[in-house]
Amino acid sequence: MTASGRGITEVVVGPVHAGIIEPGRFRIGTNGETIASFEMQFGFAHRGVETALIGRDAVGAAPAIARICGGCTAARSWAYARALEDLAGVCVDERSELARLLFAELERIYNHIFDLGAACAGAGYGYGRTAALGLVERVHRVCARLSGHRFLFDAIVPGGVRGEAFEGGAAVIAELETIRGDLERLVHDVLANDSVRRRFEGAGILSARSVRELGGVGPARRACGDPLDARIENPYGAYARIMPFIATQSGGDVAARFRVKTQELRESLRLASCALEHLGGAKLPAPQKPEVGAGSTTGIAEGARGVETMRVRTGARGALQSVSIISASARNWPLVARAMEGNIVPDFPLVNKSFNLCYACMDK
Amino acid sequence: MERYAHSLGIRHVACGSCNACEHEMNALESPQYDLAQEGWQIAASPRHADVLTVTGPMTQAMREAAAASAGAMAQPRVVVAVGDCAIGTGVWSGAPSSGAGAGVELHARVRIPGCPPSPDAIKTGLGRAAALLDGKGSNGETDVLR
Repeated sequence: MTASGRGITEVVVGPVHAGIIEPGRFRIGTNGETIASFEMQFGFAHRGVETALIGRDAVGAAPAIARICGGCTAARSWAYARALEDLAGVCVDERSELARLLFAELERIYNHIFDLGAACAGAGYGYGRTAALGLVERVHRVCARLSGHRFLFDAIVPGGVRGEAFEGGAAVIAELETIRGDLERLVHDVLANDSVRRRFEGAGILSARSVRELGGVGPARRACGDPLDARIENPYGAYARIMPFIATQSGGDVAARFRVKTQELRESLRLASCALEHLGGAKLPAPQKPEVGAGSTTGIAEGARGVETMRVRTGARGALQSVSIISASARNWPLVARAMEGNIVPDFPLVNKSFNLCYACMDK
Repeated sequence: MERYAHSLGIRHVACGSCNACEHEMNALESPQYDLAQEGWQIAASPRHADVLTVTGPMTQAMREAAAASAGAMAQPRVVVAVGDCAIGTGVWSGAPSSGAGAGVELHARVRIPGCPPSPDAIKTGLGRAAALLDGKGSNGETDVLR
Protein backbone atom coordinates (compact mmCIF):
# COMPACT_ATOMS: atom_id res chain seq x y z
CA MET A 1 0.00 0.00 0.00
CA THR A 2 1.41 3.42 -0.90
CA ALA A 3 0.12 6.95 -0.52
CA SER A 4 1.19 10.00 -2.47
CA GLY A 5 0.04 13.50 -3.23
CA ARG A 6 -0.31 16.85 -1.50
CA GLY A 7 0.28 16.74 2.25
CA ILE A 8 1.86 13.28 2.24
CA THR A 9 5.39 13.10 3.64
CA GLU A 10 7.37 9.91 3.33
CA VAL A 11 9.41 8.69 6.29
CA VAL A 12 11.88 5.91 5.57
CA VAL A 13 13.56 3.88 8.31
CA GLY A 14 16.09 1.10 7.97
CA PRO A 15 17.78 -1.13 7.15
CA VAL A 16 20.06 0.31 9.85
CA HIS A 17 18.03 1.20 12.92
CA ALA A 18 18.71 3.31 16.00
CA GLY A 19 18.57 0.33 18.37
CA ILE A 20 20.20 -3.08 18.25
CA ILE A 21 17.79 -4.90 15.99
CA GLU A 22 17.77 -6.86 12.77
CA PRO A 23 17.76 -5.18 9.37
CA GLY A 24 14.44 -4.28 7.76
CA ARG A 25 13.14 -1.23 5.96
CA PHE A 26 9.85 0.60 6.34
CA ARG A 27 8.41 3.31 4.14
CA ILE A 28 5.77 5.25 5.99
CA GLY A 29 3.54 7.73 4.17
CA THR A 30 2.40 10.28 6.75
CA ASN A 31 -0.45 12.73 6.62
CA GLY A 32 0.34 15.04 9.51
CA GLU A 33 0.92 12.63 12.38
CA THR A 34 -1.21 9.86 10.92
CA ILE A 35 0.20 6.85 9.11
CA ALA A 36 -1.53 6.94 5.72
CA SER A 37 0.47 4.13 4.18
CA PHE A 38 2.91 1.53 5.44
CA GLU A 39 5.23 -0.48 3.27
CA MET A 40 7.67 -3.15 4.46
CA GLN A 41 10.81 -4.14 2.59
CA PHE A 42 12.54 -7.39 3.47
CA GLY A 43 15.45 -9.49 2.31
CA PHE A 44 18.30 -7.71 4.10
CA ALA A 45 18.96 -10.84 6.19
CA HIS A 46 18.60 -13.18 3.20
CA ARG A 47 21.50 -15.63 3.30
CA GLY A 48 20.14 -18.23 0.91
CA VAL A 49 19.49 -20.75 3.67
CA GLU A 50 17.11 -23.04 1.79
CA THR A 51 19.45 -23.29 -1.21
CA ALA A 52 22.50 -23.85 0.99
CA LEU A 53 20.83 -26.84 2.65
CA ILE A 54 20.19 -28.75 -0.59
CA GLY A 55 22.31 -31.89 -0.87
CA ARG A 56 23.32 -31.96 2.79
CA ASP A 57 22.74 -34.93 5.06
CA ALA A 58 19.35 -34.35 6.73
CA VAL A 59 20.47 -35.29 10.25
CA GLY A 60 23.84 -33.54 9.86
CA ALA A 61 22.09 -30.30 8.85
CA ALA A 62 20.40 -29.93 12.27
CA PRO A 63 22.99 -27.45 13.70
CA ALA A 64 22.50 -25.24 10.63
CA ILE A 65 18.70 -25.44 11.02
CA ALA A 66 19.15 -24.36 14.66
CA ARG A 67 21.01 -21.24 13.45
CA ILE A 68 18.47 -19.90 10.95
CA CYS A 69 16.90 -17.74 13.65
CA GLY A 70 18.29 -17.40 17.16
CA GLY A 71 14.96 -16.61 18.80
CA CYS A 72 13.03 -19.52 17.29
CA THR A 73 15.70 -22.21 17.47
CA ALA A 74 14.01 -24.65 19.88
CA ALA A 75 10.67 -24.59 18.04
CA ARG A 76 12.29 -24.84 14.58
CA SER A 77 14.66 -27.63 15.69
CA TRP A 78 11.67 -29.48 17.15
CA ALA A 79 9.63 -29.07 13.94
CA TYR A 80 12.62 -30.29 11.90
CA ALA A 81 13.27 -33.22 14.25
CA ARG A 82 9.61 -34.25 14.03
CA ALA A 83 9.84 -34.21 10.23
CA LEU A 84 12.94 -36.44 10.19
CA GLU A 85 11.53 -38.78 12.83
CA ASP A 86 8.40 -39.11 10.71
CA LEU A 87 10.51 -39.99 7.65
CA ALA A 88 12.53 -42.54 9.65
CA GLY A 89 9.50 -43.92 11.47
CA VAL A 90 11.01 -43.56 14.92
CA CYS A 91 9.48 -42.56 18.26
CA VAL A 92 11.28 -40.48 20.84
CA ASP A 93 11.42 -41.66 24.47
CA GLU A 94 9.28 -40.06 27.14
CA ARG A 95 12.06 -38.26 29.02
CA SER A 96 13.43 -36.69 25.83
CA GLU A 97 9.90 -35.54 24.92
CA LEU A 98 9.56 -33.91 28.35
CA ALA A 99 12.91 -32.17 27.88
CA ARG A 100 11.79 -30.90 24.46
CA LEU A 101 8.65 -29.41 26.00
CA LEU A 102 10.82 -27.82 28.70
CA PHE A 103 13.20 -26.28 26.14
CA ALA A 104 10.36 -25.00 23.92
CA GLU A 105 8.60 -23.39 26.88
CA LEU A 106 11.85 -21.77 28.09
CA GLU A 107 12.26 -20.29 24.61
CA ARG A 108 8.73 -18.90 24.79
CA ILE A 109 9.46 -17.51 28.27
CA TYR A 110 12.61 -15.54 27.37
CA ASN A 111 11.06 -14.31 24.10
CA HIS A 112 7.83 -13.17 25.74
CA ILE A 113 9.62 -11.39 28.61
CA PHE A 114 11.88 -9.69 26.06
CA ASP A 115 8.72 -8.64 24.15
CA LEU A 116 7.10 -7.17 27.27
CA GLY A 117 10.27 -5.10 27.74
CA ALA A 118 10.27 -4.11 24.07
CA ALA A 119 6.66 -2.90 24.36
CA CYS A 120 7.73 -0.79 27.36
CA ALA A 121 10.63 0.62 25.31
CA GLY A 122 8.13 1.45 22.54
CA ALA A 123 6.16 3.48 25.07
CA GLY A 124 9.32 5.19 26.36
CA TYR A 125 9.19 3.34 29.69
CA GLY A 126 12.86 2.63 30.35
CA TYR A 127 12.40 0.92 33.69
CA GLY A 128 10.14 -1.71 32.12
CA ARG A 129 12.70 -2.52 29.45
CA THR A 130 15.63 -2.70 31.86
CA ALA A 131 13.76 -4.84 34.38
CA ALA A 132 12.59 -7.17 31.59
CA LEU A 133 16.16 -7.51 30.26
CA GLY A 134 17.24 -8.46 33.78
CA LEU A 135 14.66 -11.26 33.86
CA VAL A 136 15.54 -12.39 30.32
CA GLU A 137 19.17 -12.78 31.43
CA ARG A 138 18.10 -15.00 34.31
CA VAL A 139 16.10 -17.21 31.90
CA HIS A 140 19.13 -17.47 29.58
CA ARG A 141 21.18 -18.69 32.54
CA VAL A 142 18.54 -21.32 33.29
CA CYS A 143 18.69 -22.38 29.61
CA ALA A 144 22.48 -22.71 29.85
CA ARG A 145 22.15 -24.83 32.97
CA LEU A 146 19.68 -27.20 31.32
CA SER A 147 21.01 -27.41 27.77
CA GLY A 148 24.56 -26.05 27.90
CA HIS A 149 23.55 -23.11 25.69
CA ARG A 150 22.01 -19.75 26.62
CA PHE A 151 19.76 -19.80 23.53
CA LEU A 152 19.13 -23.58 23.51
CA PHE A 153 21.06 -24.04 20.24
CA ASP A 154 21.30 -27.76 19.40
CA ALA A 155 19.27 -28.69 22.49
CA ILE A 156 16.59 -30.43 20.39
CA VAL A 157 18.12 -32.73 17.78
CA PRO A 158 16.69 -35.37 15.42
CA GLY A 159 16.06 -38.46 17.55
CA GLY A 160 15.92 -36.74 20.93
CA VAL A 161 17.76 -34.05 22.87
CA ARG A 162 21.34 -33.16 23.68
CA GLY A 163 21.18 -33.74 27.39
CA GLU A 164 24.78 -34.08 28.60
CA ALA A 165 24.70 -30.62 30.20
CA PHE A 166 21.29 -31.14 31.82
CA GLU A 167 21.24 -30.09 35.44
CA GLY A 168 17.63 -30.17 36.60
CA GLY A 169 16.20 -30.53 40.06
CA ALA A 170 14.69 -28.40 42.80
CA ALA A 171 17.11 -25.46 42.48
CA VAL A 172 16.02 -24.72 38.89
CA ILE A 173 12.33 -25.06 39.80
CA ALA A 174 12.92 -22.60 42.66
CA GLU A 175 14.66 -20.15 40.30
CA LEU A 176 11.70 -20.30 37.87
CA GLU A 177 9.37 -19.61 40.79
CA THR A 178 11.45 -16.54 41.76
CA ILE A 179 11.41 -15.34 38.15
CA ARG A 180 7.61 -15.77 38.12
CA GLY A 181 7.24 -13.60 41.24
CA ASP A 182 9.51 -10.86 39.87
CA LEU A 183 7.67 -10.99 36.54
CA GLU A 184 4.29 -10.51 38.26
CA ARG A 185 5.67 -7.45 40.04
CA LEU A 186 7.02 -6.02 36.78
CA VAL A 187 3.74 -6.57 34.91
CA HIS A 188 1.86 -4.96 37.78
CA ASP A 189 4.19 -1.94 37.71
CA VAL A 190 3.80 -1.54 33.95
CA LEU A 191 0.00 -1.79 33.86
CA ALA A 192 -0.40 0.35 36.99
CA ASN A 193 1.39 3.15 35.18
CA ASP A 194 -1.45 5.10 33.58
CA SER A 195 0.60 6.82 30.89
CA VAL A 196 2.10 3.50 29.74
CA ARG A 197 -1.20 1.61 29.89
CA ARG A 198 -2.94 4.31 27.88
CA ARG A 199 -0.25 4.14 25.19
CA PHE A 200 -0.89 0.38 24.98
CA GLU A 201 -4.69 0.63 24.87
CA GLY A 202 -6.18 1.34 21.45
CA ALA A 203 -2.81 1.30 19.65
CA GLY A 204 -2.32 -1.03 16.69
CA ILE A 205 -5.78 -2.56 16.73
CA LEU A 206 -6.17 -5.70 14.64
CA SER A 207 -9.70 -7.04 14.16
CA ALA A 208 -10.51 -10.72 14.61
CA ARG A 209 -11.62 -10.74 10.99
CA SER A 210 -8.34 -9.23 9.72
CA VAL A 211 -6.21 -11.70 11.64
CA ARG A 212 -8.18 -14.62 10.18
CA GLU A 213 -8.17 -13.21 6.65
CA LEU A 214 -4.41 -12.65 6.75
CA GLY A 215 -3.73 -16.06 8.29
CA GLY A 216 -2.09 -14.76 11.45
CA VAL A 217 -0.76 -17.15 14.10
CA GLY A 218 0.57 -17.18 17.65
CA PRO A 219 -0.04 -14.63 20.40
CA ALA A 220 -0.97 -12.01 17.78
CA ARG A 221 -3.94 -14.17 16.77
CA ARG A 222 -4.81 -15.18 20.33
CA ALA A 223 -4.90 -11.47 21.29
CA CYS A 224 -7.82 -11.20 18.84
CA GLY A 225 -9.85 -13.82 20.69
CA ASP A 226 -8.95 -16.88 18.63
CA PRO A 227 -7.28 -19.69 20.66
CA LEU A 228 -5.37 -21.15 17.69
CA ASP A 229 -2.30 -23.00 19.00
CA ALA A 230 -0.49 -26.01 17.50
CA ARG A 231 0.10 -27.38 21.00
CA ILE A 232 -3.59 -28.22 21.38
CA GLU A 233 -4.82 -28.33 17.76
CA ASN A 234 -2.89 -31.55 17.34
CA PRO A 235 -0.98 -32.26 20.57
CA TYR A 236 2.55 -33.49 19.90
CA GLY A 237 5.30 -34.82 22.14
CA ALA A 238 4.67 -34.32 25.85
CA TYR A 239 1.88 -31.79 25.21
CA ALA A 240 -0.46 -34.80 25.03
CA ARG A 241 0.38 -35.40 28.72
CA ILE A 242 0.96 -31.85 29.95
CA MET A 243 -1.82 -29.88 28.30
CA PRO A 244 -1.39 -26.11 28.12
CA PHE A 245 -4.22 -23.75 28.91
CA ILE A 246 -4.52 -21.44 25.89
CA ALA A 247 -5.07 -17.81 26.87
CA THR A 248 -6.89 -15.29 24.73
CA GLN A 249 -7.68 -11.58 24.82
CA SER A 250 -10.31 -9.83 22.74
CA GLY A 251 -8.98 -6.31 22.15
CA GLY A 252 -6.48 -7.00 19.33
CA ASP A 253 -4.44 -3.92 20.37
CA VAL A 254 -0.98 -3.51 21.90
CA ALA A 255 -2.50 -3.94 25.38
CA ALA A 256 -4.15 -7.23 24.34
CA ARG A 257 -0.90 -8.57 22.94
CA PHE A 258 0.91 -7.52 26.13
CA ARG A 259 -1.73 -9.20 28.30
CA VAL A 260 -1.92 -12.39 26.27
CA LYS A 261 1.87 -12.78 26.46
CA THR A 262 1.67 -12.22 30.23
CA GLN A 263 -0.92 -14.99 30.53
CA GLU A 264 1.14 -17.28 28.30
CA LEU A 265 4.21 -16.60 30.46
CA ARG A 266 2.40 -17.78 33.58
CA GLU A 267 1.32 -20.93 31.77
CA SER A 268 4.76 -21.58 30.23
CA LEU A 269 6.41 -21.21 33.63
CA ARG A 270 3.92 -23.74 35.02
CA LEU A 271 4.56 -26.15 32.13
CA ALA A 272 8.34 -25.81 32.48
CA SER A 273 8.20 -26.49 36.23
CA CYS A 274 5.89 -29.44 35.64
CA ALA A 275 8.32 -30.92 33.10
CA LEU A 276 11.24 -30.34 35.48
CA GLU A 277 9.40 -32.15 38.28
CA HIS A 278 8.77 -35.15 36.03
CA LEU A 279 12.36 -35.14 34.79
CA GLY A 280 14.03 -34.93 38.21
CA GLY A 281 17.78 -34.45 38.41
CA ALA A 282 18.90 -37.53 36.48
CA LYS A 283 20.77 -37.19 33.17
CA LEU A 284 18.86 -37.30 29.90
CA PRO A 285 19.16 -40.20 27.45
CA ALA A 286 21.36 -39.76 24.37
CA PRO A 287 19.54 -39.12 21.09
CA GLN A 288 18.80 -42.10 18.83
CA LYS A 289 19.96 -41.03 15.38
CA PRO A 290 17.07 -41.57 12.92
CA GLU A 291 17.83 -43.52 9.73
CA VAL A 292 16.29 -41.16 7.17
CA GLY A 293 15.53 -42.53 3.70
CA ALA A 294 13.80 -40.97 0.72
CA GLY A 295 10.53 -39.21 1.43
CA SER A 296 8.64 -36.00 1.93
CA THR A 297 6.92 -34.67 5.03
CA THR A 298 6.12 -31.65 7.17
CA GLY A 299 7.00 -31.01 10.80
CA ILE A 300 5.42 -28.31 12.96
CA ALA A 301 5.92 -26.91 16.45
CA GLU A 302 4.40 -23.92 18.23
CA GLY A 303 7.09 -21.30 18.76
CA ALA A 304 6.98 -18.00 20.65
CA ARG A 305 5.54 -16.17 17.63
CA GLY A 306 3.26 -18.96 16.42
CA VAL A 307 3.53 -22.18 14.48
CA GLU A 308 6.91 -22.97 12.93
CA THR A 309 6.68 -25.20 9.85
CA MET A 310 9.44 -27.22 8.18
CA ARG A 311 8.69 -28.99 4.91
CA VAL A 312 11.40 -31.51 4.13
CA ARG A 313 12.06 -33.68 1.07
CA THR A 314 14.86 -36.19 1.14
CA GLY A 315 16.44 -38.49 -1.44
CA ALA A 316 18.25 -41.78 -1.06
CA ARG A 317 20.52 -42.06 2.02
CA GLY A 318 18.75 -39.09 3.62
CA ALA A 319 20.22 -36.23 1.56
CA LEU A 320 18.09 -33.08 1.58
CA GLN A 321 16.44 -32.37 -1.77
CA SER A 322 14.50 -29.39 -0.49
CA VAL A 323 13.71 -27.64 2.77
CA SER A 324 10.91 -25.12 2.91
CA ILE A 325 10.84 -22.91 5.99
CA ILE A 326 7.50 -21.28 6.74
CA SER A 327 8.01 -19.22 9.86
CA ALA A 328 5.44 -17.70 12.17
CA SER A 329 7.06 -14.34 11.46
CA ALA A 330 6.54 -14.75 7.70
CA ARG A 331 2.87 -15.49 8.38
CA ASN A 332 2.49 -12.53 10.72
CA TRP A 333 4.34 -9.64 9.04
CA PRO A 334 1.22 -8.72 7.00
CA LEU A 335 -0.60 -8.26 10.34
CA VAL A 336 1.88 -5.55 11.34
CA ALA A 337 1.10 -3.54 8.20
CA ARG A 338 -2.65 -3.92 8.77
CA ALA A 339 -2.38 -2.95 12.47
CA MET A 340 -0.34 0.13 11.56
CA GLU A 341 -3.05 1.75 9.42
CA GLY A 342 -4.48 4.92 10.93
CA ASN A 343 -2.08 5.00 13.88
CA ILE A 344 0.21 7.94 14.56
CA VAL A 345 3.89 7.85 13.59
CA PRO A 346 5.18 7.88 17.22
CA ASP A 347 3.25 4.64 17.79
CA PHE A 348 5.05 2.86 14.94
CA PRO A 349 7.81 1.40 17.19
CA LEU A 350 5.26 0.52 19.87
CA VAL A 351 2.94 -1.35 17.48
CA ASN A 352 5.89 -3.00 15.72
CA LYS A 353 7.41 -4.19 19.01
CA SER A 354 4.05 -5.50 20.26
CA PHE A 355 4.46 -8.16 17.52
CA ASN A 356 8.29 -8.30 17.72
CA LEU A 357 8.64 -10.53 14.66
CA CYS A 358 11.92 -11.92 13.33
CA TYR A 359 13.64 -10.83 10.14
CA ALA A 360 16.07 -13.77 10.12
CA CYS A 361 13.37 -16.41 9.78
CA MET A 362 11.39 -14.21 7.39
CA ASP A 363 14.33 -13.56 5.03
CA LYS A 364 16.00 -17.00 5.43
CA MET B 1 37.81 -5.58 35.20
CA GLU B 2 40.28 -3.06 33.78
CA ARG B 3 39.36 0.59 33.90
CA TYR B 4 39.17 2.35 30.57
CA ALA B 5 39.60 6.07 30.16
CA HIS B 6 37.86 5.99 26.84
CA SER B 7 34.11 6.24 26.76
CA LEU B 8 32.61 4.59 23.73
CA GLY B 9 29.74 5.35 21.41
CA ILE B 10 28.77 2.03 19.89
CA ARG B 11 26.81 1.65 16.65
CA HIS B 12 25.52 -1.76 15.69
CA VAL B 13 24.73 -3.03 12.21
CA ALA B 14 23.23 -6.50 11.73
CA CYS B 15 24.40 -7.98 8.42
CA GLY B 16 22.37 -11.18 8.21
CA SER B 17 22.84 -12.62 11.69
CA CYS B 18 20.30 -15.00 13.24
CA ASN B 19 19.50 -12.36 15.90
CA ALA B 20 21.14 -14.25 18.79
CA CYS B 21 24.17 -11.90 18.65
CA GLU B 22 21.74 -8.95 18.77
CA HIS B 23 20.09 -10.50 21.84
CA GLU B 24 23.46 -10.71 23.57
CA MET B 25 24.27 -7.13 22.54
CA ASN B 26 20.95 -6.06 24.07
CA ALA B 27 21.86 -7.98 27.23
CA LEU B 28 24.72 -5.47 27.69
CA GLU B 29 22.02 -2.97 28.66
CA SER B 30 20.55 -5.30 31.28
CA PRO B 31 21.23 -4.69 34.99
CA GLN B 32 23.62 -7.68 35.07
CA TYR B 33 26.06 -6.28 32.45
CA ASP B 34 25.16 -2.56 32.52
CA LEU B 35 27.53 -1.16 29.89
CA ALA B 36 26.77 2.40 31.03
CA GLN B 37 29.03 1.71 34.03
CA GLU B 38 31.97 1.53 31.63
CA GLY B 39 31.02 4.92 30.17
CA TRP B 40 29.76 3.21 27.04
CA GLN B 41 26.50 3.78 25.24
CA ILE B 42 24.69 2.55 22.17
CA ALA B 43 24.73 5.41 19.64
CA ALA B 44 21.69 5.88 17.43
CA SER B 45 23.80 7.13 14.53
CA PRO B 46 27.22 6.11 13.18
CA ARG B 47 28.09 9.83 13.30
CA HIS B 48 28.10 9.58 17.10
CA ALA B 49 30.01 6.31 17.29
CA ASP B 50 33.64 5.30 17.89
CA VAL B 51 32.97 1.62 17.50
CA LEU B 52 30.99 -0.22 14.86
CA THR B 53 29.86 -3.69 15.93
CA VAL B 54 28.82 -5.98 13.10
CA THR B 55 27.20 -9.41 13.07
CA GLY B 56 26.31 -11.94 10.41
CA PRO B 57 27.96 -13.38 7.31
CA MET B 58 27.30 -10.13 5.36
CA THR B 59 24.34 -10.57 3.08
CA GLN B 60 24.36 -9.13 -0.41
CA ALA B 61 21.47 -6.86 0.56
CA MET B 62 23.31 -5.34 3.55
CA ARG B 63 26.71 -4.75 1.94
CA GLU B 64 25.97 -1.20 0.78
CA ALA B 65 24.24 -0.06 4.00
CA ALA B 66 27.01 -1.52 6.18
CA ALA B 67 29.74 0.19 4.16
CA ALA B 68 27.81 3.47 4.32
CA SER B 69 27.48 3.15 8.11
CA ALA B 70 31.22 2.54 8.51
CA GLY B 71 31.99 5.39 6.12
CA ALA B 72 29.79 7.80 8.10
CA MET B 73 31.91 7.38 11.24
CA ALA B 74 34.61 9.85 12.21
CA GLN B 75 38.24 8.67 12.59
CA PRO B 76 39.62 7.11 14.63
CA ARG B 77 37.16 4.25 14.63
CA VAL B 78 37.29 0.54 15.29
CA VAL B 79 35.15 -2.15 13.71
CA VAL B 80 34.37 -5.06 16.02
CA ALA B 81 33.21 -8.40 14.57
CA VAL B 82 30.71 -10.00 16.95
CA GLY B 83 30.17 -13.74 16.58
CA ASP B 84 31.32 -16.62 14.38
CA CYS B 85 29.34 -15.46 11.32
CA ALA B 86 30.97 -12.02 11.41
CA ILE B 87 34.49 -13.46 11.71
CA GLY B 88 33.81 -15.75 8.77
CA THR B 89 33.46 -19.12 10.50
CA GLY B 90 29.66 -19.30 10.91
CA VAL B 91 27.34 -22.00 9.59
CA TRP B 92 26.08 -19.83 6.72
CA SER B 93 29.52 -19.02 5.27
CA GLY B 94 29.31 -20.06 1.64
CA ALA B 95 25.50 -19.80 1.45
CA PRO B 96 24.48 -18.30 -1.93
CA SER B 97 23.67 -14.78 -0.66
CA SER B 98 26.25 -14.71 2.15
CA GLY B 99 29.63 -13.01 2.02
CA ALA B 100 32.93 -13.63 3.76
CA GLY B 101 31.71 -12.42 7.17
CA ALA B 102 30.67 -8.87 8.06
CA GLY B 103 33.81 -8.28 10.13
CA VAL B 104 36.10 -9.74 7.48
CA GLU B 105 34.64 -7.50 4.77
CA LEU B 106 34.75 -4.39 6.96
CA HIS B 107 38.32 -5.10 8.21
CA ALA B 108 37.43 -5.58 11.87
CA ARG B 109 40.38 -5.08 14.22
CA VAL B 110 38.67 -6.89 17.09
CA ARG B 111 37.16 -10.34 16.57
CA ILE B 112 34.85 -11.93 19.13
CA PRO B 113 34.14 -15.60 18.38
CA GLY B 114 31.12 -17.48 19.70
CA CYS B 115 27.73 -18.59 18.50
CA PRO B 116 26.67 -16.28 19.98
CA PRO B 117 29.50 -14.83 22.10
CA SER B 118 28.47 -14.28 25.72
CA PRO B 119 27.79 -10.73 26.93
CA ASP B 120 31.01 -10.96 28.97
CA ALA B 121 33.00 -11.83 25.84
CA ILE B 122 31.41 -8.92 23.95
CA LYS B 123 32.31 -6.59 26.83
CA THR B 124 35.90 -7.82 26.74
CA GLY B 125 35.99 -7.19 22.99
CA LEU B 126 34.63 -3.68 23.41
CA GLY B 127 37.30 -3.12 26.05
CA ARG B 128 39.94 -4.09 23.46
CA ALA B 129 38.38 -1.60 21.05
CA ALA B 130 38.54 1.14 23.71
CA ALA B 131 42.21 0.31 24.33
CA LEU B 132 42.95 0.50 20.59
CA LEU B 133 41.28 3.91 20.41
CA ASP B 134 43.41 5.04 23.35
CA GLY B 135 46.52 4.03 21.42
CA LYS B 136 47.10 1.10 23.75
CA GLY B 137 47.47 -2.48 22.65
CA SER B 138 48.72 -3.68 19.34
CA ASN B 139 48.15 -1.81 16.14
CA GLY B 140 47.20 -5.05 14.46
CA GLU B 141 44.17 -7.20 14.89
CA THR B 142 43.14 -8.63 18.22
CA ASP B 143 41.11 -11.68 19.10
CA VAL B 144 38.98 -12.27 22.13
CA LEU B 145 39.44 -15.87 23.25
CA ARG B 146 36.32 -17.99 23.36
